[in-house]
Amino acid sequence: MAVADAAARSRIADIGLAEEGERRIAWVARHSPVLKRLARNRLSDGALRGKRVAVVVHLEAKTAYLATLLAEAGAEVVAAGSNALSTQDSVCAALVRRGIEVHARHGASPEEFTADLLDVAETGPQIVIDDGAELTRRIVEHRPELATRLEGVTEETTTGVARLRALQDAGLLTFPAIAANNARCKHMFDNPYGTGQTALTAIMRLTNLSAAGKRFCIVGYGWVGQGLARRAVGYGGRVTVVELDPVQALRAHMDGYRVAPLAEALDDADFVITATGTTAAVTAQVFPRLKDRVILANAGHHDREIDVTALAARSEPIEVRPGVTRYEIDGKRVYVLVDGALVNIAGGDGNPVEIMDLSFSVQALAAHHLASSDLPPGLNTFPDDLDREIARTKLSTLGIELDEESEAQRQFGAEWRT
Amino acid sequence: MSESRIRDASLADDGERKIAWVAEWMPVLNGVCDRLRSDGGLAGRRIAVILPVEPKTAYLAAGLAAAGAEVTVAFQGVMVHDDVAAGLAARGVEVFAKRGSTHEEELEYFDRVLARRPEVVIDDRADLIRLAHTTHPEALETLLGASEETTSGVTALRAMEADGTLKVPCIAANNARCKYLFDNRYGSGQSAVNAVLDSTNLLLAGKRVVIVGYGWVGKGMALRARGLGAEVTVCEVEPFAALEAYHDGLDVAPILEACATAEIVLTATGVRHALGIEAVEALPDGALLANAGAVDDEFDVPALRARASETRQVREHVEEFRLADERSLFVVGDGVCVNLSAGEGHPAEIMDLTFSVQALAANYLLQNATNMTPAVHALPAEIDESVAREKLKALGVRIDRLTPEQESFLHAWEAFD
Repeated sequence: MAVADAAARSRIADIGLAEEGERRIAWVARHSPVLKRLARNRLSDGALRGKRVAVVVHLEAKTAYLATLLAEAGAEVVAAGSNALSTQDSVCAALVRRGIEVHARHGASPEEFTADLLDVAETGPQIVIDDGAELTRRIVEHRPELATRLEGVTEETTTGVARLRALQDAGLLTFPAIAANNARCKHMFDNPYGTGQTALTAIMRLTNLSAAGKRFCIVGYGWVGQGLARRAVGYGGRVTVVELDPVQALRAHMDGYRVAPLAEALDDADFVITATGTTAAVTAQVFPRLKDRVILANAGHHDREIDVTALAARSEPIEVRPGVTRYEIDGKRVYVLVDGALVNIAGGDGNPVEIMDLSFSVQALAAHHLASSDLPPGLNTFPDDLDREIARTKLSTLGIELDEESEAQRQFGAEWRT
Repeated sequence: MSESRIRDASLADDGERKIAWVAEWMPVLNGVCDRLRSDGGLAGRRIAVILPVEPKTAYLAAGLAAAGAEVTVAFQGVMVHDDVAAGLAARGVEVFAKRGSTHEEELEYFDRVLARRPEVVIDDRADLIRLAHTTHPEALETLLGASEETTSGVTALRAMEADGTLKVPCIAANNARCKYLFDNRYGSGQSAVNAVLDSTNLLLAGKRVVIVGYGWVGKGMALRARGLGAEVTVCEVEPFAALEAYHDGLDVAPILEACATAEIVLTATGVRHALGIEAVEALPDGALLANAGAVDDEFDVPALRARASETRQVREHVEEFRLADERSLFVVGDGVCVNLSAGEGHPAEIMDLTFSVQALAANYLLQNATNMTPAVHALPAEIDESVAREKLKALGVRIDRLTPEQESFLHAWEAFD
């Protein structure tokens, strides 16, 4: 699209910020060898040419690079953020300058955020790269007639896959969807290593506090929670895990962590980090158990894992440092980071570039797969051969070689006789 | 009488918020300053604080001032947070510090500090003490002593003592156990690694990280880098430290070899050009360089700049140096102490220990310097231990004491049956 057209159709904060956004995208490009080699190559066959692709993922530099590659492959890309607090205005400006239509502003109100997503829906996307199913569920709910035109959706997060499954159970998933999150090259790296590292570094930077010796309460021991626990230990912290699923709880126990019910775990917690993918993980019910000067942060998809509304109902919120809000509950100081939004994204630059190189390679190849094959409606898995190819490409960029399965090993695996 | 030189007084509110925040996490220093105020020993005494101007140092300076001292603060430009400088000035402390100040301005600031005729200096890298012994000998007439913050500063003071230059008693605050065991290791370890990751938005897991220097800072960085999934190689010149790194399960290699495959190089040697230009030249394309040591030029940024065909700022705090052979190297935080140049410095709770040591060392010098020789002295062990006990108390951690029987065993030399 011509820049003037893109600018006319877009709703962003300030196109004057484009230069800073360009710098950020250039840094991402440098550290995204898999997207650069594999995805660019795969996308060049013309399957995406002329396709309207909506990219609704946290709008920062990594996402912008993905959007750029899709546009380069001939797709008509429209981008919006998946969370108003994670949108970076400079990156939006750079995308518009690159001729891509963008509907996103940092700090947009919930109404503005929804309006931006509905504007994206109005462009009639054929393929949606979604995060938290934010666009997909709005299309199904508010613009069902547009759902019939969808050729497919590919979903980034655990939360979004759960929502798509709920749509499927309700009989509303009438188009193909790929659970990109469930690709091994996504959830085995992005969730534990990406969010694990960046949530911890963001918390430390936002607070300028020490982790060594501190008690961390990790609420939820999924892929993200496991990464948070490991990195908290890496920073010298001591970890208590809170989990509802007995198998995951047992796993946490055997990984060497203390496992306890939330209320009990809160008694001595210096930091509480939620990663449950659900809502209301830390609610008013357990406020009495919080320690004075506890730091609450969320590393899950929703802004609602920590009940900030309940805190605000009982106390005047005071921002004591950028990104740190104090509430006084029963004479105790409770600090919430970035209003309970995803701490690594709203309070930092999000997952590391190299990790998103993997995740977005999955997304790029998933979008390409949707455009070039005839998938049945409903949830589909990401093809294993593509998943392996991404991993192999990443390994080769790292200079790591692999052995091949030997003939004897292959035969042994295929043999059932004793 | 305050003639502060700061960048922008209107930033005072932001600075004050940051100072107020760290105050909540420095319970030991709060107690120390309260006691110093009530015993009156600091009343009217002149103290110069030469430390990076960030929230914790500001709180130390403000605490000493609140205890009655006349405090003057100065520091060089890269490690000055202008909002904090403004906040501190608004608390009535005299501050000479601007981010991005010129060398001439910095010399002028130090002149102004020395013109206040401080009785005690809380110094960093022995900067002010060296000036007092070279270009400003008149300052020595009223100077009682200094307390030194860094390993490299203590090394310089010992050199001055050895050649008979040192004219005032100095306390090696850095060598207090409550300082180096925590500040250098856990403070720098966490905040230096964090600053590099925050500045670059890159992943550490699986990365080849080279740590040059396995002193306390190097140990802390190695511990945290490994904790975040990196593959760590240590470069050392000192055989004991190298052997320690080996037994800590880390790779040990000569610097040229280690640099050939390094993705991130972190220096913490206290030595100028510890990472020479040959080692920098050996780095592969894309390598990141950061310094966590107190010496500004542990790797030779000017030489790198001279060799670069092009340089540009690729992100805030990250500068690219493109070399003639198309390789690019990236320097994080200008090659000066990265946790301060690209972050807010050490965690507040760690500086609670360090600055309690400093406040007590300054007080000790004010009361006792006239009876001390012009040499490098240790902080009295009982003061060091009192800080550790106060910190444990604040953390709610209880410990045992020796029983009389155990105590007498430790002091007996006779054979026991």
